[in-house]
Amino acid sequence: MEERTDINRELMLDANATAGVLYEIFGVEMTASPTECANCGNEGEIGGLLAFVQGPGIVLRCSACENVVLRIVQTPEAVYLDARGAVYLRLAR
Amino acid sequence: MKQTLNWQIAAIKDIKPETAKVKSFTLTLPAWMRHRAGQHYDIRLTAEDGYQAQRSYSIASEPEREGEVDITVERIHDGEVSTYMHEVLVPGDRIEARGPIGGYFVWEASMVEPLLLIAGGSGVVPLMSMIRHRAAVGAKNPTSLLYSSRDFDDIIYYNELEKLRTASNGVQVLHTLTRSQPPGWKGYARRIDPEMLKEVAQPLGKSVQAFLCGPTLLVEAVANALVKIGIKSDQIRTERFGPTGG
Repeated sequence: MEERTDINRELMLDANATAGVLYEIFGVEMTASPTECANCGNEGEIGGLLAFVQGPGIVLRCSACENVVLRIVQTPEAVYLDARGAVYLRLAR
Repeated sequence: MKQTLNWQIAAIKDIKPETAKVKSFTLTLPAWMRHRAGQHYDIRLTAEDGYQAQRSYSIASEPEREGEVDITVERIHDGEVSTYMHEVLVPGDRIEARGPIGGYFVWEASMVEPLLLIAGGSGVVPLMSMIRHRAAVGAKNPTSLLYSSRDFDDIIYYNELEKLRTASNGVQVLHTLTRSQPPGWKGYARRIDPEMLKEVAQPLGKSVQAFLCGPTLLVEAVANALVKIGIKSDQIRTERFGPTGG
């Protein structure tokens, strides 16, 4: 089986692992919510996005085209959310 | 599903060594909520100077147990949280916990399709919650666990898995040991490969629901191989934990 040795790849998680952070931001469980990649149109649950969490922020990428869907930076004063890569996010009532 | 999820103070009720590097912690939770098998808790430690470290740990126990959960934690070299949990915590101590959380990597007994569970190392933990849930409710869907460990002594839950394997409506449990094998070992003795996956997955049929948890590279390789042998990607759920976790 092929194995990649790229360090970012080795440290990659599923966005399911960021469920706690997403809950803090949105106030609801998000990982089972659908979203659509603004780059390739792939639809799927947020928990299935690829998560890169080792940097100063969290980057969630599309599992199909690997375009950035969400970027989250938390500081002591605020949370910055860049959602340009998502056509939509769904917040359950 | 709306739920209120706040940090709560969990009490350590019990600590059980599983292997040399792995312990299970029973947490008593004042605001316990029934979890879904596969979910996790966030654990947060705060130092006297205010520095905080936070990690996610999969729930190992079945949802049917009320008021408490088991989390199983591997001690990571230099890991801030896991080292503290292994070396400092004793029963009666309190830690901050938030959960249950995560709706993506979840199996419930109402899902009646055959179940294929594939674990590398401590990736077996959330899958064990699914297996225990399945046993607790008496589900009968065909279920196979393929579990890769380095050495025999690294296998977590070995005795319990043996019992479940031989029970009626039990789980087929297949181990592979990638580094060393004890004399007379009858299981696999290599890394998970496409041939092994075929042997394990094909008897479960095309409607199988697969859950993969383990180091990122293992999960990537297994997920790609499963797609190649004809399992659709929307039937495969993954939980990668990377080589570190702390």
